[in-house]
Amino acid sequence: MAYKPQFYPGSTSVGINRRKHMSGNLEKLRDIPEADVTAIMGHRAPGADYSSTHPPLKEMGEPDCPVRQLVAPTAGAAAGDRVRYSQWTDSMYFAPSTPYWRSYWGAINCKGCDPGTLSGRQIIEARERDIEAYTKAQYDSEMTDVALCSMRGCTVHGHSLRLEENGMQFDMLARTEMGKDGNVYAVKDQVGIPLDKKVNLGKPMTEAEAKKRTTIFRADGVPMCGAVGARKYDEAVEALHHMWELRSKWGFRPE
Amino acid sequence: MAVKHTKKLFIKALNKKFGKDFDLAGQKVEYKRLGIEQSARKREFIEYAKKVEGKRGMTGYNPMVHAGGIPMGQRQLVPYKLSGTEYVVEGDDLHFVNNPAIQQMWDDVRRTIVVGLDMAHEVLQKRLGKEVTPETINNYLEILNHAMPGAAVVQEHMVETHPGLVDDCNVRVFTGDDALADEIDDQYLIDINKMFPAEQAEALKAAIGKTSWQAIHIPTIVVRSCDGGTTSRWSAMQLCMTFIDAYNMCAGEAAVADLAYAAKHAAVLQMSEMLPARRARGPNNPGGLSFGFLADMVQTSRVAAADPVKVSLNVVAAGAALYDQIWLGSYMSGGVGFTQYATAAYTNDILDDFCYYGVDFAADKFGGFAKAPKTLDLAKELATEVNAYGMEQYELFPTILEDHFGGSQRASVLAAASGITSAIASGHSQVGLAGWYLSMLLHKEGWGRLGFFGYDLQDQCGPTNVFSYQSDEGSPLELRGANYPNYAMNVGHQGEYAGISSAAHAGRMDAFACNPLIKVTFANPGMVFDWADVRACFGKGGAREFRAAGERSLVMPAV
Repeated sequence: MAYKPQFYPGSTSVGINRRKHMSGNLEKLRDIPEADVTAIMGHRAPGADYSSTHPPLKEMGEPDCPVRQLVAPTAGAAAGDRVRYSQWTDSMYFAPSTPYWRSYWGAINCKGCDPGTLSGRQIIEARERDIEAYTKAQYDSEMTDVALCSMRGCTVHGHSLRLEENGMQFDMLARTEMGKDGNVYAVKDQVGIPLDKKVNLGKPMTEAEAKKRTTIFRADGVPMCGAVGARKYDEAVEALHHMWELRSKWGFRPE
Repeated sequence: MAVKHTKKLFIKALNKKFGKDFDLAGQKVEYKRLGIEQSARKREFIEYAKKVEGKRGMTGYNPMVHAGGIPMGQRQLVPYKLSGTEYVVEGDDLHFVNNPAIQQMWDDVRRTIVVGLDMAHEVLQKRLGKEVTPETINNYLEILNHAMPGAAVVQEHMVETHPGLVDDCNVRVFTGDDALADEIDDQYLIDINKMFPAEQAEALKAAIGKTSWQAIHIPTIVVRSCDGGTTSRWSAMQLCMTFIDAYNMCAGEAAVADLAYAAKHAAVLQMSEMLPARRARGPNNPGGLSFGFLADMVQTSRVAAADPVKVSLNVVAAGAALYDQIWLGSYMSGGVGFTQYATAAYTNDILDDFCYYGVDFAADKFGGFAKAPKTLDLAKELATEVNAYGMEQYELFPTILEDHFGGSQRASVLAAASGITSAIASGHSQVGLAGWYLSMLLHKEGWGRLGFFGYDLQDQCGPTNVFSYQSDEGSPLELRGANYPNYAMNVGHQGEYAGISSAAHAGRMDAFACNPLIKVTFANPGMVFDWADVRACFGKGGAREFRAAGERSLVMPAV
């Protein structure tokens, strides 16, 4: 029988969504044009050549190395692209993804990437054409809601702030805006430089849909521990208790 | 018993911050983007910067260059209430540069050294044939309180320090021997019986025994010009000169070398250990200060022993300011961001609320403080409950979430509440530490986020060091410090660890957490900082009501 990874415990929607994110088996909700994703990332002008840090691997005369024979390079590595990034901020008010689940998604599903996880932002670095593809995948999939998630290279604060009255995540630099037509538009790139033209990112999720797709436990959504006076631990907590206890005992090591 | 919970202690602070009728539970708000004009302190900065710019002839502070021309204040700029007090100050007032009380707290640590008297007295008596009596000791202390600030004895035609610049310098003695204490002139004595509740006094005197010690606080201005490493040198020189003067000794005979060793080096307690070369700091600098020592420096335990949460949270505040704002934020890193991490632990009554909830929960269940079993299961039960409660408050009150807008602020507060609760309930700091780490893991699991790369790496691997007995990682929490291998570069942890160290002993109603000499030394009424009410003193500093020592204005032209 082929091995089937068991990514995460629990039968709640949060547990199920977490497994989906980790497995990469995500629903595609929109199709942002590649050129628009490139513009929002802000590393190169859409259509411009990729900058490189070394010649294509085929021209480099690589050493005879069994690891290199086993591992095929990504398209970006093969071409010698420089390493660039995309960084996301996900609201705590039921954004579909969270920093750790973006990182798990990246680490499991994106070859040659380097995820970094903080509380208010999550970054993935990779060769430029690779990170463009990974970023588009995130933008297009159910990992992202265009009102509750946005790409922010700097000045990222917003994940823990109350939402704007129109349901948008707070952004000091106002990189995205809600259009009169109900669509969300990107008006600045990751680091806040105005775009030549607005990019239509489509309509945001309804609150109900965001709650359905989210990977965050919350008291006003799917609680992790029940409520005060009526505790009921999710299976994830039971598993975590087990791991914490074993880690603590292993540190003691009374052999 | 602690104040009975649960009262949502943070609501009063939130009303002061956001406005009385503000919807604290709303998840949406209109962001008015009013900019820096919202803040009286920022307005003051701008006005002052204009004056400075004219004088300097070059640009300086200008918040309009921030973020490409978008100033702070795109959301509401809110003030901070010092937890457990009525002080409300601007965030800027809690940066240590703007807060003389925070500076003085650190100055009081690094200018302090504890030196034993007994061995010097033995050398005087046995090697030099001098008589040592209460009268000679009092005479010695009078001379010492002249010399220690930087005045001359024995030698002629010497320069001296201005008494107005060094008036915070003082030396008092303490002993566990009541008979000897009775003979010491009151002005030179830290009277354990007067300063501590009776049970604590008995415990301290029993621990100190018949030994006698000098609590030496050299002038603040000296350590501000030099550093903590100078404290032992400054005090040692003045001690030796004072002995020579008080006991009419020859200044050059070989026997003085014996006295010098006995008086200066044989029984010396620095406030913190010297750091390894890669940290490049001498003793009496913050990186070597153990959590247990800091727990003992804070004096809330002798004035509010019945409220172990309050005791612990004053230690947390001292540690957050010292380890995060000053040590990591300035010595080790730089910039201004560390203040935001640190203040979460001592403002707006949020950590207070979580701790009182947990401790009341535990006290109800186990019949009081330090009554619960000292087990992993206990940490599991309490940390899971307290962490869940805290996360729920952040979820139900978005204004708290907005107040602690960074994940590492929330992580520190949730884990500190879990750890302090577990420590007070069990009377055991290692059980508290186990609670801390479980909280971290639960927090990450619930919200899919925790701190930042360098913040939470230690928390994700940390459970393994709770009960480890390996020498480099297994110390009891009281003996760990800012340079413990896994803690050395991580904001938002060390003050809280000191608080957990304190909590275990506060729960047990112990007289001290780690070292009785430190506890008594910092009871010295001559300290400039108020070690019994750390948070209120920070508030005084922020409100510009606190007068620090070590100022130079006496010898400079008026501004």
